[in-house]
Amino acid sequence: MSEVKKHDTPMVDELKKGPWPSFVDDIYTYGEKHKKQACFDIMGQLELSYKHKETHWKHGGIVGVFGYGGGVIGRYSDQQDKFPAIWAFHTLRVHHTAGKWYHTSALRKLCEMWDHRGSGLVNFHGSTGDLVLIGTTTEQLEPTFFDLTHQLHWDLGGSGSNLRSPACCMGKSLCEWCLYDVQDLDYELTMHFQDELHRPAFPYKFKFKFSGCPLDCVAAIARADLSFIGIWRDEIQIDQEAVRAYVNGELKPNAGAFSDRDWGPFDIQKEVIERCPGKCMYWDEKEQKLYINNEDCVKCMHCIAVMPEALKPGKDRGVCLLIGAKAPILEGAQLSTVLVPFWRPEPPYDDIKEFIYKIWDFWMENGKNRERIGELIQRIGLNRFLTEVVGIKPIPQHVRVPRDNPYIFWKEEEVPGGWQRDIKEFRKRHPA
Amino acid sequence: MADVVERLKELWGKYDELEGKFKDEMDPIYQEPYYPDAAEKLYNPDKPMQNRVTDIGPPYYWQFLPPVVKKNYGQWKSHEIIQPGVIKRVAESGDVIYVVRCGTPRLETTDYIREICEIADKYCDGYVRWTTRNNVEFIVDSEEKLKALLEDLKNRKHPGGSYKFPIGGTGAGVSNIVHTQGWIHCHTPAIDASGVVKSIMDELFEYFGSHKLPAKTRLALACCLNMCGAVHCSDIAIVGIHRKPPMVEDERLQHVCEIPLVIAACPLGAIKPATVEIDGQKKKTVRVNASRCMFCGNCYTMCPAMPIADGEGDGIAIVVGGKVSNRISAPKFSRVVIPYIPNEPPRWPTTVKWIKKILETYAEHANKYERVGDWIERIGWEKFFELTEIPFTEKSIDDYRLAYTTYRTTTHFKFTKHVDEVKIEV
Amino acid sequence: MDKEELKQKILEVIEARVKKGKSKVYLKDIQRDIPDAKARDIKKAANELVQEGKLEYFSTGSTVMFGLPGVGMGLEAGSEDPNK
Repeated sequence: MSEVKKHDTPMVDELKKGPWPSFVDDIYTYGEKHKKQACFDIMGQLELSYKHKETHWKHGGIVGVFGYGGGVIGRYSDQQDKFPAIWAFHTLRVHHTAGKWYHTSALRKLCEMWDHRGSGLVNFHGSTGDLVLIGTTTEQLEPTFFDLTHQLHWDLGGSGSNLRSPACCMGKSLCEWCLYDVQDLDYELTMHFQDELHRPAFPYKFKFKFSGCPLDCVAAIARADLSFIGIWRDEIQIDQEAVRAYVNGELKPNAGAFSDRDWGPFDIQKEVIERCPGKCMYWDEKEQKLYINNEDCVKCMHCIAVMPEALKPGKDRGVCLLIGAKAPILEGAQLSTVLVPFWRPEPPYDDIKEFIYKIWDFWMENGKNRERIGELIQRIGLNRFLTEVVGIKPIPQHVRVPRDNPYIFWKEEEVPGGWQRDIKEFRKRHPA
Repeated sequence: MADVVERLKELWGKYDELEGKFKDEMDPIYQEPYYPDAAEKLYNPDKPMQNRVTDIGPPYYWQFLPPVVKKNYGQWKSHEIIQPGVIKRVAESGDVIYVVRCGTPRLETTDYIREICEIADKYCDGYVRWTTRNNVEFIVDSEEKLKALLEDLKNRKHPGGSYKFPIGGTGAGVSNIVHTQGWIHCHTPAIDASGVVKSIMDELFEYFGSHKLPAKTRLALACCLNMCGAVHCSDIAIVGIHRKPPMVEDERLQHVCEIPLVIAACPLGAIKPATVEIDGQKKKTVRVNASRCMFCGNCYTMCPAMPIADGEGDGIAIVVGGKVSNRISAPKFSRVVIPYIPNEPPRWPTTVKWIKKILETYAEHANKYERVGDWIERIGWEKFFELTEIPFTEKSIDDYRLAYTTYRTTTHFKFTKHVDEVKIEV
Repeated sequence: MDKEELKQKILEVIEARVKKGKSKVYLKDIQRDIPDAKARDIKKAANELVQEGKLEYFSTGSTVMFGLPGVGMGLEAGSEDPNK
């Protein structure tokens, strides 16, 4: 292997200091060890960006490997002469596993493959969820894909106007609050919609995210076109003895999450009862007993998170399906809004799959270029989307408040006698 | 080499038989060595569909779950954070595991991943997972292993002295910063990502490994307003912004760009075709309606002759008060409190200073369990600006869609110093 | 309209657009030009044409377009097109 050419990077080198893991140290150490010019060139280009305060990357039209419309992002340096090793430096999105669990035998093999095929740089993980392999040339894209599929039995993730790689929280694998099997639903839908994931189908991107409970650790409500959030509908399970243990200071509130500050002794009245958004809890000091009026509970999880040994979500569990979240481009940021308040997901989830097709068919017919489903619903009105598109009865849970104007677009068939009227008859009653 | 192709086909047969759903055993492909030249044997550029395997998705997650997790899947009883970064989880069966959470830089090398593998092999039988916030989690099944693991992790450092695997990210602290690519790999960023994150986390390091804040605090960074990642619902977030419309390189544009594509790329229809004369030659080009430009960089994506980045113009906006959790209060958007801070590589001192100031003001004044946004709603935004000493400017008053919903339609407000700044001149 | 007919129609639609100087086309635009076919069928047919090598994808970063292979703006960025 020929000697590598190093660049002077005094500003970038400043980021070797300090306690937080230094990506600069990591990249340089790796570059030295593997004699990878790309590592030195990318640090050199970053130094140049630090000097100019401007990026030095260009975009290419590459989208994927043959037959795929996503999974690869084309990237070119505008500094071909200075940094030839990163002139073409494309990204591959590799579909992460549900819950982001791995075994080292798979990871080591992936690493070996990427040392051979690319720069050795990775993201664990990208914002959408994928494992991101950063930096390779156009010629290496097909061999990398063949290595992934044949030697790792692993596929690319989504990009462009495809279904993006779905993502879920840790789910039942580690969390006692997970209210439906997020990993199973994630995997099932991922496998069922492989075509939509790899080939462009839509006016724009589409995302599924699965959170096991309303704490929403994967931020489904903020970024998924379809957000699946676990919820229950019956009574919170109470262990009164454990509640008393919290009150008496025998158990640490919030599982020890506040351990490094003296907040004083645990005060159930102040910390739980008064913070409850449903105002549905009562602590009987005399009886030393907690009462919950479950009808008024809005399932915010606060009391459960504060006293996890004492309280658990109910037993009748399912998923709340919300629709339409997106980042601000273009019509402004949107959170997902309630679509189906409660759904009991059962494998193989055929009803959910059919329901998704129904939404997609409408969006594909009626969406404009680069219009997310949430924006389309805004354009036509949630009321029309519910009644005319998905056929769901509108209920108060769909809105925060009812509309404040009576500018209702009545339809002709809703008004007795229709809109065709006889002006002559009218004039008989009301001479002009 | 033919043997290798045969061998891979045989292994594919096993995968195919189970449709990839390996449950009790792991896919044997991962025990097979990597063959560096197999792909060249399998891939034929003239017949691209030959030997092509498609639509297989990610590996089935179940095979990568540690046996203790498989056994107790869906049967966890409770958890306790026994120290920052260490979560003890107890199953209905009585089984106990300890989850050790460590921050990572997200941008890393395969050697860093191998080091994670080495640790996972040593203490966790090779099983490991990542969180949605770029933390890595090691799971051990005894206190002895936990002790040894913690000791081991503390001693792993980069040559420059930074920790490779800082322990923390749990409870009422600052977790890892979700972020984007920035100057390391994106074509439309206004700021760097990894460098800004490193600078902030160095300064907030003590809050990553401790539980002394009023509630968990989620930080995020997006390097342009396309916002890859849920920056718009974070407690404190950094957004890169451009402030100059793209330049148009008339001389070169028609040679490197397709004009209808560039026009179609603009989300606001601000680009129109045009013709100019250069040295007596007619050139096709475009014109940008600068007053309609929202600085997204989509045109530069389609046309390298329309660069948007500008060292002087670009910089950072800071937004605060968002959240995604439904706990106590509903999810909400973050709000712009500092509209612009210049780029200051390599350490971004002004940005870091303000982030720390906001965080520590929050830490000092908020009640227990109050997220940043809940605290601000309780005290009022006027009080937030007073306490943090962030100057309020007209840039924090919305003039985009539905702006009116953010104006104050009540006489409920507090008399902060701002009130006396209003002087009526007649 | 059967699938082969639809494929032919898609190619015609794209060729017509190329003649007007637009070499990359959104799926939505193809759908608009063939109103009597279902959006999902058009998507399937267009993607099959890519498999057959008669069309190719082009990325705008956040969305994907369709074009005729080798026509118009190439996949490699920044290289000057000598034909222009």
